[in-house]
Amino acid sequence: MSFQRRLASGDFVVLAEMNTPKGVNVAELVANARKIKGRVDAVIIPDMDNGVMRMSALAGGALIHQQGMEAIIHLYCRDRNRMALQGDVLAAHLLGIRNLVVVPGEEMANGDHRDATVVNDLDELELLGAIRSLQNGVDMSGFSLNGNPEFMTGCTLGAFADEQALDAELAALEKKVAAGAGFVITPPVFDVERSAADLEKIAALKVPVIATVFLLKSVGIARYMSLNEPGAHISEEMIKRIRKAPNREMECQRIAGETIAQLKNLVQGVKIETLGWEHKLPTILGFAGL
Amino acid sequence: MITAERKPLDEIMESIDGCGRILLVGCNECVTVCAAGGRKEVALLASALQMASMKKGRTLDIRELTLERQCDPEYVEELTPHIDQVDAVVSMACGCGVQEVARRFKKTHVYPALNTKFMGASEGPGIWAERCQGCGDCLLGLTGGICPIARCAKRLMNGPCGGSTNGKCEISNDVDCAWHLIWERMKELGIEDRYEDVIAAKDWRTGRGGGPRKILREDLV
Repeated sequence: MSFQRRLASGDFVVLAEMNTPKGVNVAELVANARKIKGRVDAVIIPDMDNGVMRMSALAGGALIHQQGMEAIIHLYCRDRNRMALQGDVLAAHLLGIRNLVVVPGEEMANGDHRDATVVNDLDELELLGAIRSLQNGVDMSGFSLNGNPEFMTGCTLGAFADEQALDAELAALEKKVAAGAGFVITPPVFDVERSAADLEKIAALKVPVIATVFLLKSVGIARYMSLNEPGAHISEEMIKRIRKAPNREMECQRIAGETIAQLKNLVQGVKIETLGWEHKLPTILGFAGL
Repeated sequence: MITAERKPLDEIMESIDGCGRILLVGCNECVTVCAAGGRKEVALLASALQMASMKKGRTLDIRELTLERQCDPEYVEELTPHIDQVDAVVSMACGCGVQEVARRFKKTHVYPALNTKFMGASEGPGIWAERCQGCGDCLLGLTGGICPIARCAKRLMNGPCGGSTNGKCEISNDVDCAWHLIWERMKELGIEDRYEDVIAAKDWRTGRGGGPRKILREDLV
């Protein structure tokens, strides 16, 4: 059953995030994707994740589709104007991609091409509106299309450190849903018990909520995120658990798997983010009982 | 200078709809020079607004004031005695002036009467043309004093493109090809050999690529 149908039927969906290579060697991407074929509902391909120049998500999504898997690709406004974005949306449909996520673009200053110019011809709401319009057969200039693309389009919820910030994000989310977003991906959830109320608040907007499960790779990363991402709520107990484990890497994967299992009754799906450790996905899925 | 043009009267009227008393504020700098928002234009717009209001059976209480520089807090302070006595300020400055007034008077509506256009120069009476986009890393020394960022339609650093014909740009016969101008200027200066130099991909961090910009001169703070 397609990702879209599973969402509509209320089934729990599992998405695995996989980055395209910085280069043209896709062997690792294909190998990692094949290892989880049948165990996840779709592979989500970021575009220039964290502002790092890589093979475009469009190619990555097409490649995943060629492997007989469902692809979801990121779209954002920093690098492309409305012409390029609409062209890519049409191309995505042709290449077999049926799912999009409109995401915010990372600041150019945080990427690896800091001297590049930014485009930002559209914002996220306008891009969502443009995708909806293309699905209805009309481009942004009002011209009719010869064949309409079809997509399930989602959006993201920005990170929030407190109730006030969550409310601001929910107000923005409402607008995105009104503009055409059919599901939302949350920031990483580490402490499910503590995040439960927030997740319920998000779900109250009547849009399928997909929680991000982020693989902590080490004590150092856990500590860094705990200090620099106040909204992450990474507890001292969790850091201690990783530190004391005989196999810390395995413990991190176990924690991610347990988090997925805990989220099953709270949200409609998870997106597993491993940032370069996609080869660990089968183990994480195993710990999650998937 | 920063150039501007007045907005259509209907748009200005729409923005002050519901206001009975307005303070119409001009600026004595760039917008005076480009005849968009100086003392004279303030008086003209005041008359036009009054006539448009009267046509609708209303009268406006319009105060007119032209500041030396509307982008300068020191001069914006001169509005203080008037602010509580008006429903809104209509600014005839560039966007910098509008924002400075809005920043100073947080509880007062400030509406722009001008559309700020570009940084440019006068090419003759009544003609202003774009010259600079404030990229923050001037390359005029490499291009014979003619800016390809502001004056080439494609912003080419290594032009011209195939659309240059008889010194004109493909977008319009009224637009000079910047790279033709650069070539002619280099010939005049006897530095044609520099034309062959390839300019590297530009670092846009000094421009808007790096987000909103600020200058901090510690010796003046």
